[in-house]
Amino acid sequence: MAPRLPARCWRQLLVQPTSLSPTTPSTLPRASASASASASPSSPSVRLLSYTQSRAVKSGWSTLPSRAKPHRFNQITSGLPAPTAGPAAALKRKEHSTPVRAGVLAVKKGMTVFMGRTGARIPCTVLQLDRVQTVLNKTRQKHGYWAVQVGMGERAAPNVTAPLLGYYEAKGIAPKEVLAEFRVRNEKGLLPVGVQLLPDWFHIGQRVDVRSNSRGQGFAGGMKRHGFAGQEASHGNSLNHRTIGTTGPSQGSGSRVLPGKKMPGRMGNQRVTVQNLPVLMVDNELGIVVVKGCVAGPKGAVVKIQDAVKKEPPSQEWIDKTMKALEERFPDAEAHLQAARERHLELKEARREKRIAELMAEGMKPSEADADAIEEIIAAAAKEDAGERAPAAF
Amino acid sequence: MNAAPLARRPLGCLKASLRQTRQQRMLIRHMATEAVQAESQTTTPRPPPQHDFFSLKDRKTKTLRTAFAVYPTTTAAGSSLAPPPVNVIQSLHEAQIKKMDPTGARTALFAKTREAAKPGDVLMVTHRRGGEPFAGVCMSIRRRGVDTAVLLRNHLGKIGVEMWFKVYNKNVAGIEIVKRRAKRARRARLTYLRKPKHDVGSVEDLVFAWKRSRKVFSSGKPAAGAAKAKGAAAKK
Repeated sequence: MAPRLPARCWRQLLVQPTSLSPTTPSTLPRASASASASASPSSPSVRLLSYTQSRAVKSGWSTLPSRAKPHRFNQITSGLPAPTAGPAAALKRKEHSTPVRAGVLAVKKGMTVFMGRTGARIPCTVLQLDRVQTVLNKTRQKHGYWAVQVGMGERAAPNVTAPLLGYYEAKGIAPKEVLAEFRVRNEKGLLPVGVQLLPDWFHIGQRVDVRSNSRGQGFAGGMKRHGFAGQEASHGNSLNHRTIGTTGPSQGSGSRVLPGKKMPGRMGNQRVTVQNLPVLMVDNELGIVVVKGCVAGPKGAVVKIQDAVKKEPPSQEWIDKTMKALEERFPDAEAHLQAARERHLELKEARREKRIAELMAEGMKPSEADADAIEEIIAAAAKEDAGERAPAAF
Repeated sequence: MNAAPLARRPLGCLKASLRQTRQQRMLIRHMATEAVQAESQTTTPRPPPQHDFFSLKDRKTKTLRTAFAVYPTTTAAGSSLAPPPVNVIQSLHEAQIKKMDPTGARTALFAKTREAAKPGDVLMVTHRRGGEPFAGVCMSIRRRGVDTAVLLRNHLGKIGVEMWFKVYNKNVAGIEIVKRRAKRARRARLTYLRKPKHDVGSVEDLVFAWKRSRKVFSSGKPAAGAAKAKGAAAKK
């Protein structure tokens, strides 16, 4: 192998292309494609530089140490082991504990029981899905991980901020009350945007994890919040029956309170996950998923339901079935999204150029299908009119 | 600039300098790939979805600041989105009650009617799995749809015993009214029965008398008589 030369040596080749003109255009890509390669030799040579490996920092900056910059020699392809830290490694590590499918948002409606035919009585929680729609797919490439953003409910436009109004405008959906994100294992878990998720996303008997915020208890003392024992009622105790006592050793141990010491404070209103709840019932008409047992939070609390992490994911047949149902129910979701995006760009441009008032005055042009429908209605009305008049004449 | 090495080996450094381009050869787009991509871009033009405008006004000048398209909930991805029914728990209860009590006898026994059982009445509950029926004074009726339950109190061997019974449970084979209270109780929950002053004590005598009276009327056929007893019998 020829000895490697510093850049200052071969840079001369670029400024003196005439000596190598027979070889360079044929061996290099792009140069052969461009017709101007032979006409003006300097311009393709300059462009060629960007395709060659840079050996020194020419512009910009990086926080990586110099050895960590991507080189030929620190890649996996050069025989090095895959790194055990970093985004890729983290995703790989969390793969087994990330659900395959996205979940849904729901509202806790309350608790009731399931009476069995044989006398069994199962306490259960009723969770209702209110117009749950997918809003966004987050991808590894763009966001660093795979997730599906899901929205629930409806929010009136005056109660939505301008940035979010633009967000929903680009998605072509009405503003949602709640937005939440569900991490999924890989790109197979992503869903078409704008489709509605119904309770039959889950099947009876499947295990789900239900996440919600617990009831807020306000500022609570140590006995209630952490189960401290309190102090005695008598034996000379004075006004310290429910206090927490000491918060740590004294001089010699630093005379300080260790971080994380359990103390009185705000209690509740924290996210609580109840794992592996069996689904007892799903009903698309009522929009409910009924799970066994209890779920944190008061009635009306927003809960996240997703396939259980610590159980096997639903069978591939079930996943295929639900995905197929989505396609059947919302065949033109993609086209709708595309149209909304185009409209969004148009409106965005108009907003920038202060033309939005014109567009508003112009209004929506009725589509051809609408025009046909209107004509049909008019024709039908005319026919009825004629039919009514006819008997009156005779 | 030192041009001596170049003079010695003019092509020696080419390999190193072109290594990157060799690696990038994989990324070159050929004519074939161009053609394939051109074919895939066949999307049918679609009219923009119908929407309204929501305008934001400037606070001071009260003029139009900007406006956004707001899509109606009915055109989400081509299908209607209706809000779900409000009182789902109630409809769940109704559906389950219909399943667990097709005749409506259990519902009628604890409905808010004149004929229904009330706190203070002496009730007897028969279990489906055999065992002795439990009789006692009804202390309260907890109405929770399909989870409706009654609390009965009796004395077994001079010890007060209270038991909850789920009215719609299949394990409860029947509930019968042994004796009605002479006067309507003026409380919904007769917790004062736990106090010695007001405790009714054992209802064994009442049950015994009621059974005997039924035998007289049913001409020695207790099984048939039980089903047609005058007290609202809630047989499955």
